[in-house]
Amino acid sequence: MLKYILKRIFRSFITLFAVTTIVFMLMRLMPEEGYFGDSYDKLDEIQREAILEGMGLRDPMHIQLIHFYKGLIKGDLGTSITYRPKVPVTEILAKKIPYSLWLGLSSILIAIIFGLWMGISMAQHKDRLMDGVGTFYIVFIRAVPSAVYYLFLQLYLTSWLKLPILFDVDEKASFFLPLLSMSLVSLAGYAMWMRRYMVDELNKDYIRLAKAKGLRQKEIMFKHVMRNAFVPMAQYLPTSILFAISGSLYIESLYSIPGIGSLLVESIQRQDNPLVQALVLIYAAISIFGLLMGDVLMAFFDPRIKFETQGGGR
Amino acid sequence: MNSDEMIKQDEKHLPDQIKKAMPILTIENLVVKFNLRGRSLSAIREASLSLYKGESLAIVGESGSGKSVFTKSLMGLLDANGWVDSGTIQYKTYDLAQFKKEKDWLKIRGKEIAMVFQDPMTSLNPLKTIGKQVREAVVKHQGLKGREATNAVYDILENVGIDAPRKRYNQYPFEFSGGMRQRVVIAIAVACKPEILICDEPTTALDVTIQAQIMELIGELQSKYGLTVIYITHDLGVVAHVADRVAVMYAGDIVEIGLSEEIFYDPRHPYTSALLASLPQLGIKGEPLYAIKGTPPNLFKKVEGDAFAFRNEKALKIDFVKRPPYFKISETHYAKTWLMDERAPKVDKPKIIELLNERSAK
Amino acid sequence: MTQRMKHIAEDIDDTLFTFAEYNQSASEEIGYSNYSYWQSTIQVFFKNKVAVFLLMVIVLLLAFTFIQPLLPNQKLPTKIYNDPVTNMQYRNVAPNSEFWFGTNSIGQDLWSRIWSGTRTSLIIGFMVGLFEVIVGIVIGAMWGYMRKLDRVITEIYNVWNNIPTTIVLILLTYIMRPGIFTLIFAMSITSWLSMTLLVRNLIVILRDREYNLASRCLGTPIRRIITKNLVPYLVSVIMLRMALAIPTAIGLEVFLTYIGLGLPVDIPSLGNLVNEGRLLMMSESLRYQLFFPAIVISLITIAFYVMGNAFADAADPRNHV
Repeated sequence: MLKYILKRIFRSFITLFAVTTIVFMLMRLMPEEGYFGDSYDKLDEIQREAILEGMGLRDPMHIQLIHFYKGLIKGDLGTSITYRPKVPVTEILAKKIPYSLWLGLSSILIAIIFGLWMGISMAQHKDRLMDGVGTFYIVFIRAVPSAVYYLFLQLYLTSWLKLPILFDVDEKASFFLPLLSMSLVSLAGYAMWMRRYMVDELNKDYIRLAKAKGLRQKEIMFKHVMRNAFVPMAQYLPTSILFAISGSLYIESLYSIPGIGSLLVESIQRQDNPLVQALVLIYAAISIFGLLMGDVLMAFFDPRIKFETQGGGR
Repeated sequence: MNSDEMIKQDEKHLPDQIKKAMPILTIENLVVKFNLRGRSLSAIREASLSLYKGESLAIVGESGSGKSVFTKSLMGLLDANGWVDSGTIQYKTYDLAQFKKEKDWLKIRGKEIAMVFQDPMTSLNPLKTIGKQVREAVVKHQGLKGREATNAVYDILENVGIDAPRKRYNQYPFEFSGGMRQRVVIAIAVACKPEILICDEPTTALDVTIQAQIMELIGELQSKYGLTVIYITHDLGVVAHVADRVAVMYAGDIVEIGLSEEIFYDPRHPYTSALLASLPQLGIKGEPLYAIKGTPPNLFKKVEGDAFAFRNEKALKIDFVKRPPYFKISETHYAKTWLMDERAPKVDKPKIIELLNERSAK
Repeated sequence: MTQRMKHIAEDIDDTLFTFAEYNQSASEEIGYSNYSYWQSTIQVFFKNKVAVFLLMVIVLLLAFTFIQPLLPNQKLPTKIYNDPVTNMQYRNVAPNSEFWFGTNSIGQDLWSRIWSGTRTSLIIGFMVGLFEVIVGIVIGAMWGYMRKLDRVITEIYNVWNNIPTTIVLILLTYIMRPGIFTLIFAMSITSWLSMTLLVRNLIVILRDREYNLASRCLGTPIRRIITKNLVPYLVSVIMLRMALAIPTAIGLEVFLTYIGLGLPVDIPSLGNLVNEGRLLMMSESLRYQLFFPAIVISLITIAFYVMGNAFADAADPRNHV
């Protein structure tokens, strides 16, 4: 198993490297205004070129890449242009990452706990009330763009539950809505997959043997079905991390949470290229890590995978 | 067959229990239907059968004859779109045909009747160690816990021929071969300490070389644990070696039933003769092998008369009109065919059967 | 039982105890119901009342969306309307008999804007779906069928797949100028991959299934293998993807607009409308500007989602019992 994990980690690094390089190259296409901010109009063509050259943006691609990686190893991600002029990107990020991390991880945890519980209940009470209610919830969440209900949640729940509209580190009550909103989508995802896999497993032959053994339906559910369904569940983890990322872009802006999600939104609006670039790379790294975690968890739950010598395509 | 009758067979050695002639399971006129695409299909059409303690009964028939459905209805394992329409299944004080709820079936499953399925590859939970799976049965039906239960599992694993049980306990099904997996499935069934063991084509999915081993194992376990065994199979060769009695099933009905020798050497129902005649071992070199022409009937429609009539070259007109009842050939041998009626014309034994008799006489 | 036997036996005419003629064709009659894949699919689909209802909703909605401009008394979506009396713009007028959904903060008619936006979103979604399907099938089929290509493309896929789509979307829309084509392009680039993989996996599984090998052995022409064996499986996948492409596209568009990377403000789109409404949502009297787009979006997305899934389920041969 260790060998498998190491192989997988190695693979992730390669992917990360490839992705970073591609993203970097793509980002060379960013609109040039993003390197100037307000001063763009005030400078003429020659001055702009000079500045861009000074930043190394006119060098051939491979030189730029080398520069970039050198800086990366040193921990230098450039300097912000329009957001906080002249402030190193890493400094800005360091203050903001903790918020997003907390929000993201907590919401995923909540989504897993409640989502799995919901999926199990739905499978157990298949075609009955619980299943119907759950299905309605899942359909709604998956179909309607989250922006729509995030807005309404903020609008109504703040007045009904007397919750503060904006996030405040010191006010615990303000944690509730952002967390709730963040978890909704992933919750629906976990519930849907869990229910689907449990129902699939219930049709398999070994369940029939378990029945013939004299096990009660409840026992079969818990001792056989549920445990097996965790395996493909681990596959959903990367997706829920992705949702956490995109969700954070909304939620952080809506509730004014000073995390990297709202930072990205702002830096896009202000066309701050170095910041946008750094954030995109961070998010890419997070997703790749999420995929890695998913695979490792899968291997952990499914003993058959450990024995495979082929890594297997995703 | 009622409990008063005595069996007078002195040719073959019968298990003593049969001489006591107590049926532990009596199925009478069972009708099982399925709902398929809005229409209903009669998979079992008034089949009747008695099972005696300690015997080995084989139910033979081609695919689609209803053998599996028949036994599944004994344990409440019918698919969701199937149900018992009428008839009785008398077991001890219960009429299993009346069982509707899981609660009722839990009194029977494992504890009284256990089943070995056909495909050992899919019968076991791939993500649980086989030890744990056998242990479940032990804990549930033998009332053992902890260390005791684990030891009991080691014992059973040894009894079914799995060596190094301690090591094997912690292994997963994919680490076992097909034959070994089937042994595990048998271990689970036996661990339930049932009265009746149903083996649904236990060797069909296995290599020929393993088949004999598994059949032998089941036989051993039968004597050791005092089980009554029902074998379901389409392979007459398998049947010949192990069965005391044979029931021949066709189109959802049991058309002939009798002692093994009676069925093999003195078949009375045309289908039974046809089945035997199709044994490739009886083929004569240079001549085409015999195969029953036609296919089993469509069970969506009600069958008038004898279901086999259309494929029977020697059918009587009445076979198309009225369904034959059981005709008694001996105390242990019954057949549902109008040929046994006194008014029916005499029919010679098919050449093949004579051949079979000759060959075995040698 | 003996009693019963005698009873039956007595009522029978003796002449029936003679041999009957053997009819070989009767012996081979199977009499199975005629199974037609499409018929069963349609049957199962129509049993699902909710899906059928939503199908009608969608059809009506689609028809209306495109007919709406041709109806009498419809306003123009981008025109600013002035009160003829005061000559002031009709700003933030609540829904009334003239402006059925009210007007927005610069005096534009919300009703026509919503339908215009719906048209835009539907077109975007449809184009993306079309691209997905065409590229997905072509590349997916090649990928799955030709073993030589398989290894190469699989490796490329493994790398490409790890790039999170949201990020690519953001990146692409950030780089390119905002517009309908940008959106279609960016969404297509990020979504074609999963469709391709689906098709490829299906092809790989089906290619080697025994019944296809059997067909090839029998000399069945490739065209027939494809239409009879493979297409039924592909259809459910394709229908699902196309149906889901619409709500997905709408969702992505709303998302991008929110971040500032969506369509330019002068093109009415559902994303823009939601965004505009969002700015005013705190004020109770102006909330209608958020409500109407939200309701229309919810209706469309839920309808397509449910219907797409229902059709995919109905097309799955395993549900044809």
